[in-house]
Amino acid sequence: MAARAQTATVIRPAESAWSNLAGYLRELGEYRDLLRTLSLHRISVRYRQTVLGVFWAVLQPLLMMLIFVGVFSYLARIPSEGSPYALFAYTALLPWTYFSTAVTNATGSLVNHTQLITKVYFPREILPLTYVIASLFDFVLGLVALLGLMIWYHVPVTAAILYLVPVVAILTGWILAVALLCSAAQVRWRDIGVAMPLMVQVVMFASPVIYPLGLVPASWRPLYLLNPIAGIVNSFRDVLLRGVHPDTVPLLYAAIVTACTLPLAYAVFKRAEATMADVV
Amino acid sequence: MIDVAFDKVSKRYRIRQSQDAGLKDFWAVREVSFQVGRGETFGLIGHNGAGKSTLLKLLSRITSPTAGEIRLHGRIAALIEVGSGFHPELSGRDNIYLSGSILGMKRREIAQKFDRIVDFSGVSEFIDTPVKWYSSGMYVRLGFAIAAHLDADILLVDEVLAVGDAQFQIQCHERLTELRRAGTTMLFISHDLVSIEKLCDRVGLMQRGELIASGTPHDVIEDYERLSARSHVAAMADVTPHLPGAAAAAQIEAVTFHGVDGGEILGTRTGAPLIARVHYDVTAPVDDAIVEVFYYSKDGSVLHCQHSTALAGGELMLAPGRGAIEFSSPAMGLQPGTYSIGATIRQHNHPGTIDWHYGRTLLYVEPGKSVRGYFFTPHDWRLVEKHAHAGDRSHA
Repeated sequence: MAARAQTATVIRPAESAWSNLAGYLRELGEYRDLLRTLSLHRISVRYRQTVLGVFWAVLQPLLMMLIFVGVFSYLARIPSEGSPYALFAYTALLPWTYFSTAVTNATGSLVNHTQLITKVYFPREILPLTYVIASLFDFVLGLVALLGLMIWYHVPVTAAILYLVPVVAILTGWILAVALLCSAAQVRWRDIGVAMPLMVQVVMFASPVIYPLGLVPASWRPLYLLNPIAGIVNSFRDVLLRGVHPDTVPLLYAAIVTACTLPLAYAVFKRAEATMADVV
Repeated sequence: MIDVAFDKVSKRYRIRQSQDAGLKDFWAVREVSFQVGRGETFGLIGHNGAGKSTLLKLLSRITSPTAGEIRLHGRIAALIEVGSGFHPELSGRDNIYLSGSILGMKRREIAQKFDRIVDFSGVSEFIDTPVKWYSSGMYVRLGFAIAAHLDADILLVDEVLAVGDAQFQIQCHERLTELRRAGTTMLFISHDLVSIEKLCDRVGLMQRGELIASGTPHDVIEDYERLSARSHVAAMADVTPHLPGAAAAAQIEAVTFHGVDGGEILGTRTGAPLIARVHYDVTAPVDDAIVEVFYYSKDGSVLHCQHSTALAGGELMLAPGRGAIEFSSPAMGLQPGTYSIGATIRQHNHPGTIDWHYGRTLLYVEPGKSVRGYFFTPHDWRLVEKHAHAGDRSHA
């Protein structure tokens, strides 16, 4: 037997999880192998027994894009700020699809693994996290397809694309916050899962996915931008279609809202974790 | 060195008993305190719902306590319900990695132990087959093989030995013994008292969320059997009506047990003398009567032995009135356990039974003259050959 770990653990009734966020992160780090194994498992099982396999990751936003082109460009004649509407729609659909699939799948992640939760201990956030990681993988594939589209439409790929790194980081942070809150709430109130398809639709209409941000009246902006997806989608267009640095104000809104929500969401999740196995 | 210390630990569940009723508090564990030393094997016994599994859930952090504190030293792993985390579509190989990491193993650790795990499970031929094609036996074996190779300082074992065939159970026992020798601290829950007695250094008895006794396996198991005999008799007396026979000529009123001094007893020890009395009430004379006592397993599924007036002692005539037939056995051979007692009155060469008594009497047998095998049989011994060796003779 290996040298005995000198760690002493004390198990006490659950209290506020605020004070111990660093400890939770450390523990999550100790479980990184599980996070990795489960995430790879999600990705490999996802498209198993499908004919198109991993192409589905690209196909979903592409098909949505075609529908949008037909309905909103040809019929409704919504302006697209000088870019081809197909590209205009796809650059927004890509982050929105990442958000909606990650949040939808993560919401059910705990209740779909009742067997595990009631039998084995591991940091429960690993379950929603693996779904976010699997969706991130799809997102990266979709991004490659976007670069192909840009070449097709002769839109130059500029160095501004590097701004995507912080933008995607903020987006992922926001997705994590929503995923943690929704998955923990779903354990107690299954209404969350039922309402989820509607909620992601609402987020789509409340973000400049179909229409440009410019259509939103300036007086509404502060409220409108409290939805981080709005600022993020706008930044995607700035960086990819216009080749400029992202418009500061919308992105700053997204960053601040995310930075405030994520630690709070993690603390709420960890507090709920203490009795998750009893109610799931 | 204390590895596990429970200090007044309680766990409350809020349960809803019906649609319109409000939430009700249910204390699954109440102010439980005990300590387990390094390398010690501590067993927990008690009826279903007594709170044993909740204790392990608290210890493995699946759920958190409502009050109290648990202190642990070292890495903990739980051998709870094998096969948790298996994915049917994945091969046995992939599932070893998946399940292993869910149980807290690092990838490198699993890779190192991979061959041993496969060997132990005995499913090496099918290791690249999806586990959905596995038989349930293979599934369980693979699950246990993974869990049994966890490197833990403290191992929680919950009723997992009840699975698999006899050969596999022996293998599991051996593995646990091996871990125990290596100095692993163990907490062990089982309904199998024989395993508890064999494996544990100390045993705790849970009842309705409280730890009501702890001590040597022998003493606590005795307490437990006394407790279950009492509640079993009470339960049976409530639900089992007296079953009348074909004719009401005679009724068995009770079966009682007595020690050699004639005092009534509820239990005895293996190998001790035992007297059983069948009390009857006869209303019409019964010629050529046969009275018998049956010793069934607690659940009534196995008949262990029988006393009968038909074997010897001539003809039995039961005259109207109350009385008792006494059987005495110089050494009762039943192994430790709890037995359901049956008794009948019937007539020689007549089909059917006049009265049948079952389900109201229990006899518990405590360890006494402990032997291996299914029963104790009285025996003497003496030295019969006493020839010295040829070489020895020259010395004489």
